[in-house]
Amino acid sequence: MRRLASLLVVFAVLALTPALATAQAKVTLWYPAGDITAGAAHFADKTLFAEFEAKHNVKVEAVGLDYDTMQQKIFAAAAGKNIGDILFVDNGWIPGFLKEEMLEPVADAKAKAWLAAVSPEIRELSDYGNGRMWGYPQYGIDVYGLTWNKEHFKEAGLDPEKPPRTWAEFREYAKKLTKRDAQGNITRVGYAIRHVGHPHGIVHKHFWALYSAGVRLVDDPLLLRGGKALINNDGGKAALKLVLDMLDVDKSTSLNFPDPRAAFLKGIASMQISETVSIKARQPKEAPDLKWGMALPPAPKAGDAPVSLLGAWVYAVPKQAKNKAAAWQLIEWLNSPEKDYELCKKYDASPRYQVNWGKEPFKSDPYNQALKDMYPAGKKLPINLGFNGVMDAVGGAIQKVWHHEAQLEAALAEADRQANKAIADAAK
Amino acid sequence: MGWRRRGFRRRHLLHAYLFIAPVVLLFGVFRVVPAVQTLLYSVYKVELLRGRFTFVGLDNFRALLADEAFGQAMVNTLAYVAAIVPISAALGLGLAVLFDTRFRLSELFKAVYFAPMVTSTAAAAMVWWWLYNPQFGLLNVLLRLVHLPDQPWLMSSRTALTAIIIFSVWKSLGYNMIIYLAGLQAIPAQFYEAATIDGAGALARFWRISVPLLAPTTTFLLIYNGILAFQVFDQVFVLTGGGPANATNVVVLDIYRQAFERFNFGYAAAEATVLFLLILGITVVQYVYSKRFEVAY
Repeated sequence: MRRLASLLVVFAVLALTPALATAQAKVTLWYPAGDITAGAAHFADKTLFAEFEAKHNVKVEAVGLDYDTMQQKIFAAAAGKNIGDILFVDNGWIPGFLKEEMLEPVADAKAKAWLAAVSPEIRELSDYGNGRMWGYPQYGIDVYGLTWNKEHFKEAGLDPEKPPRTWAEFREYAKKLTKRDAQGNITRVGYAIRHVGHPHGIVHKHFWALYSAGVRLVDDPLLLRGGKALINNDGGKAALKLVLDMLDVDKSTSLNFPDPRAAFLKGIASMQISETVSIKARQPKEAPDLKWGMALPPAPKAGDAPVSLLGAWVYAVPKQAKNKAAAWQLIEWLNSPEKDYELCKKYDASPRYQVNWGKEPFKSDPYNQALKDMYPAGKKLPINLGFNGVMDAVGGAIQKVWHHEAQLEAALAEADRQANKAIADAAK
Repeated sequence: MGWRRRGFRRRHLLHAYLFIAPVVLLFGVFRVVPAVQTLLYSVYKVELLRGRFTFVGLDNFRALLADEAFGQAMVNTLAYVAAIVPISAALGLGLAVLFDTRFRLSELFKAVYFAPMVTSTAAAAMVWWWLYNPQFGLLNVLLRLVHLPDQPWLMSSRTALTAIIIFSVWKSLGYNMIIYLAGLQAIPAQFYEAATIDGAGALARFWRISVPLLAPTTTFLLIYNGILAFQVFDQVFVLTGGGPANATNVVVLDIYRQAFERFNFGYAAAEATVLFLLILGITVVQYVYSKRFEVAY
């Protein structure tokens, strides 16, 4: 009996030894599947992590999640303590996660080194106040811009190299660019608006007008708790009225065109304002013959500074991650200056490190240089814990006004009240 | 002898309980416990990941009363229920009457009508999203063919809820048809024969025999469809996301948003509790009231 037991022990040890010798840690990275962001598509590249995996004996598993339900899945997974080690998330989601204290901060020394080495717009996107970081923005950040169809401009007698610079010019251009059929129905809008879908998306696409006119979603964008939403003011009225007039007076835009980017790429919209990175990524596949230009959105009047929205997808580590050490190791490897250069060159994206902007091809690439010129006008979204409520309130007001569900003044007053309530509630 | 019978009965009961235990256990874990938990959360401020629960009494319910978005979601939900339940039941009954007589390819047509029921709501909604597209959608193409003006469908706050109701009727029609068909086929043929001999026409037979004898079926469908309609979510989430301008925001979507986008779990639980009480109340009233119309045969 004793011999049998000894034999079993020896057998078990022999059987387990090779398995133990080759045991490999695994890091899971959760990202949005599909074409929601150009950068997420890179995770499907099997070779992306090969060097890291070989060097650190770590297996990296990239898991694509449905974008529309990704926040819910992340939260449920965190509650169940069965979550990805790295989350690749929209920076607009960070405040919601912070509200539940769900994220690991970036170590102070690492954050300091990063902020010193990256370009100003990346610094702005990374810094959550006093050098505090909750993740690393990915290369190829988004800056919202006006894109226009050069052929349509020519056809309408406009200079295809000169975009509208002021709101008045913008309205004039849009009127000239609009086309109608024999019955008077609009077949091509001068400017396509986003007016349906998630309220956050609607605010993103109209941020340029709201901010350049003086609206502030939260007065101090780096305040986690407290602060004030400045929505119901002359700027807010002007920003909403701009599109309302284009809908009702100029009839140069229409509620029948749901997705500005798709409409622009299909040639049924001459101008649209959204993520330029996305147009760059989709245009070769969806509209290979399209000749398009890109510039900052127009300012209220000559002499005013144009404003754009800066957005990024961020690598973050949840507190519930099982392999935090390996996760940070992978993030630091992916976000090193060398990898930044290599991956941006490979995927035709804009780099983050100042040193890489001085290297070719970025140094003389016209698209990247145009983006670089646009970045200083970019502002990031506030980090307030009541941010989601503020966005819902403003997005709802925009929809109500454009859909003629409410008077402009009443909708803005209601949005202002709801947004400030959301800020106050989140601060409790 | 008595003790032997009692022992046998005890064993019999034990076996019966053992057989139903897995289902009871699963139902308890996945249905009863979360439902009780939700009722409990409704009186707390819940910070789930922090593990912090602050008792707030009825504060969440008071806040609900002043919440315009929730108010509109409730109105939209009631409008949706009021439209979809009678329309899909009436159309289902019409189809069932049609299919009660056998004709060539009737089984194929039945399958065609039933197919939406077994299709994923999200997948079907994606197809309908394109059908509703104002520029390229099939529905506007059909309207143009008969010289009617284009409709904005999902793009307008005035037509979006109607568009969702049309989709939901299409989706639930097949199920209603099958249930009514089963009900019709259970009615003894001699009732119709006797009525025919007495000189009753087709319409009279339908109103005087079919409709009263289908009362239990109708009761079941009204309750079942009503409960499902109050819980509408998937099609709204995919087709409109609750917009435009909250025109299609429904209670379950609002619960989802409060819980998973704004992380207000206590508040979302209070919304869920209100919905639960509403469904329970309407179901009880419907059940008690419908009993009056039941006819035994």
